[in-house]
Order: sequence, then structure tokens, then C-alpha cells
Amino acid sequence: MRSEFQELWRFRELLFAMVERELKIRYKNSVLGFVWSLLMPLATILVMWLVFKVFLRNDTPNFSAYVLAAYLPYQFIQLAVLDSAQSVLISLPVVKKVYFPREILPLASVISNFIHLLLSLPIFFIFLFVIYATYGFEVSPFTWRMLFLPVLLVITFMLTAGMAFIISALNVFYEDVKYAVSLLLYIFFFLTPVMYFSENVFYALKDKPYGMLLYNLYHANPMAMLVTAYKKTLVPMGKIDPGGGEGLIPMLPMNWPMFGVTVAITLAFFFGGYALFNRMKWRFVERP
Amino acid sequence: MSTEIAIHIQDIHKEFLLSHSGSASLKTALLWWKRRQLEELKVLRGLTIEVKRGECVALVGRNGAGKSTLLSLLARVYKPTSGTITINGRIAPLLELGAGFHPDLTGQENALFNAMILGLSRKEATARIEPILAFAELEKYRDAPVRTYSSGMLARLGFSIAAHVDADILIVDEVLAVGDFAFERKCFAFIEEFKQKNGTILFVSHDREDVLQVSDRCIWLKDGQVEQEGDPLTVLDAYESGTA
Repeated sequence: MRSEFQELWRFRELLFAMVERELKIRYKNSVLGFVWSLLMPLATILVMWLVFKVFLRNDTPNFSAYVLAAYLPYQFIQLAVLDSAQSVLISLPVVKKVYFPREILPLASVISNFIHLLLSLPIFFIFLFVIYATYGFEVSPFTWRMLFLPVLLVITFMLTAGMAFIISALNVFYEDVKYAVSLLLYIFFFLTPVMYFSENVFYALKDKPYGMLLYNLYHANPMAMLVTAYKKTLVPMGKIDPGGGEGLIPMLPMNWPMFGVTVAITLAFFFGGYALFNRMKWRFVERP
Repeated sequence: MSTEIAIHIQDIHKEFLLSHSGSASLKTALLWWKRRQLEELKVLRGLTIEVKRGECVALVGRNGAGKSTLLSLLARVYKPTSGTITINGRIAPLLELGAGFHPDLTGQENALFNAMILGLSRKEATARIEPILAFAELEKYRDAPVRTYSSGMLARLGFSIAAHVDADILIVDEVLAVGDFAFERKCFAFIEEFKQKNGTILFVSHDREDVLQVSDRCIWLKDGQVEQEGDPLTVLDAYESGTA
């Protein structure tokens, strides 16, 4: 695998040119361009605020800030994986003619979406500032925990790249993969604590038989642990409404053992996915 | 090995799995008995070819003889089933009708990107944009998206990019007849100049005149093996009488 990484490094200029090309293509034919990438999360937050805070009468303070902190990385994973699923197949005419490391194709899709995630972070911080301003700054919206953000971003990138390697390679041979993946991403949006909290799962399960086992199983989904970490990193730890009329309860501290499991799963996805991709990449041009 | 050898192909075999069931899908993988419909196709069977630096070699042969497979192996698109290929120098394939062009990007953007795919650094590619557009006679249309280009314009741009990436070895798969008569002459002039500069060319053509005009040597491939090689006129005559 070392030689594959070296070869990829040798072609880094082509990778960046391909990222640039993807960004250009995406915005060439739309008037609002990058604004669309921001409109999507902001519109989602507005609807979720309406549903949870107003209709379902959830009392959690700063609810929309927490949701946005989790929605941005989840949206990145979703869009990057779906884009990359098609990446090799779309470029097959070039792949059949010229040599270059094939992993550039899914990586370019992941990186161009990652750039969108980075660009949306300043908007997130402005949003956070405004939310806390409306509460008259009872606490500062910015904490030292935000310094953990770069680590989270690296883990998110590696997890997504790993999934992109696997899915883009399999999709060359079985186009069903793309549909299966979009279904899974849709289902996991609900099984990942984006619009609710990891604490909700904890309080719902803690007194049930096998409750803790199920709770840990739920967090074996690396996306679940990641978006929870984003919430705890980007927004000050406050109180949440666990439902069931118990009133507000302080948020749980970060579950470091489960976070360690997430890091391990991420590394397995990244290196395992890359190995699988490298095993399959020579057969892309020969697909029966 | 002497540096006078540009390409050395030693006992190359290449097999493919041929599908009779249409497109690949999960269904095909799940229905195990469909496996039987995958047929092994031996395209190249023990090919040994040597091309010297500065030589221009034409490949002739009927459809399915393995010409394009051989060129793809040289471009490192396929891995051989067995055998070794040694290449001295940078190799560039001529892309037919702008494979790899994106319709929504401009001619200039596509040229820059494709030059990089063919192995140039960003700096080198940027420096060659002007000569590429000039050779293709597309300076006026540089900022138009290539979806608005005619097929002749696309072919000219494709040829021009490959001609400007400073390759030592050019791979040409039936794309010499691009554009109009004037541009075709320009292409042949370029090839002559490329040969003068000790560049190596390997090309596939079904056009007798092209082969006779350009090549120094001709190789006749039949069923994945070299049937005959040598002087273009002799081999062509044998090939044409042999397949007629």
C-alpha cells in the first residue's frame, strides 16, 4: 500500500486539478452557485426547528445550533459518498485510454465536498453567534473545546474517503450499489443523532433490558459518534430535553471509549477501503 | 537493455472475461449459474515485439486481432495476464474525439486538464495552452464550452493536446484522419517532425495510404499473435491478399 500512496502523491497536481474541475462544473450553470450549498442546511434547520421546537414542543435551548453542528458533517458524508459512487463509472471513457491512479476519481469527489464543508463552517459560527446573541450571551458561545474540531474533520474525511473507495469500486461492477447506498444513507439519517441527541437514546434505553448493549451498538455506527462529537465540540454543553416529561437534564460528557471505537472503525474503513479499491482498480476497464 | 529500445514487449498474454448477459449487476453476481455465461477470451497469445527509438511502427490486422488491446497495455490501462512490458520514455495516447472532455467546460479548461492527465505538471500544461490552441486553430473559441464544438474541432483539440505533451512515444489508434484535409496535412507534418526528433510512434490504421506514408515497419497481428512483420509494403500486400 505504501507504493500506492507514493504513486498517488506523485499525481497530487492532477488530483487538485480534478477537484478544481468538479467545483467549476458544479457552479458553471447555476446563478447562485455556492449559495445553494448553504441554503440546503439552513432550510433544513428551519424546518427542524419548526417541527421539534414548535410542533413537538421540545424544550432544549439552542436546539437549532446543535442540529446544524451535526447536520453539516452528515450532509458532507452523504453528498461525498453519493458523488463518489458515480465517479469512476462516469470517467470510464478516460480510464479506458489513459493511466493515472484511479483513486484520484473518488478522492476528487470527496475533497470537493470537503471544501464545501470547510466553507460552511464560518457560516456556522456566525449562526452560533447570532443564536447566543438573542439569548443575551448568558454563556459565551465559543469554548476551548472547539480546538478539537480539526481532529474531528480529519476523522470525518478519512471515514468518508474509506466509504467512497469501497462504494465507487463496487459500483463499477454492480450499479445496484448506488441505490442501496442512497437508501442506507436515508435510513441512517434517522439512526444518527442529527435532529435529536445521543442523550435521548441513552435515557430511552437505560432502563430497558440489554439497554446499554443497544446503546453501544447504536454508537458503533461511526457517524453517530462523530455527529455527537461535533455537537459537543462546536456548541457549549448545555441542557437537553430528554422527553418523557422529565424536564431539562445536563448533557452527558463525551463518551471517550466509544469515540476510540469510532476512530478504530474509521481507520479500518480508510485502509481497508483503499486496499479493496486497489485490488479492484485494474479490473475497472475489463468489467464484463 | 540498451536505451536505443523504446518499447520491449516480452511474451505478452492477455485474457478477458466476456459476458453474454449484458450489463453487470448484482443480479449477475447473485445468480451463480450466470457465471457459466462468462467466457474466457484470449486476445493476446504470446506476443513479443521490440520497437527502437525513433521508429514508426504500424499495426494492421482484422477486428479482434488484438491491436487496440496491445495499445491499451502499452498505455498501462490494462495489466497483462502474463509477460513483461518495458517502456523507456514518456508515453502519450491520442484520445479519440476528446474522451475526457467535459462538455460544460471551455476548450481552454479542457485542454489544461487533459494535458495534466497525460502527465504534464500544472506549470508545464499552463505554458503549453497557447501552442495547443494555436495548433488546433481554436484560439477564437477558447472560452466556448466544448459542447458547442463540432466533432472536427474536438478531434483537432484532442490531437493537439497529445502532440504537445512532450511524449517520447505516441500511441495512435485510428485517429489520424481528423478534421479537414488541411488539418490532416498538419498532423502528418507534425508526425514527420516528431520522427525527426527521434520520437517513437506506434499506430493502428486500416488506411493503406496512411501506413505507407508514415511507417517504417509494419506488424500484422492475427489472433493475438504476430503473423508477419517487416517492410510495410510487403506486409500490407500479404495482409490484404491473406484476408481478401
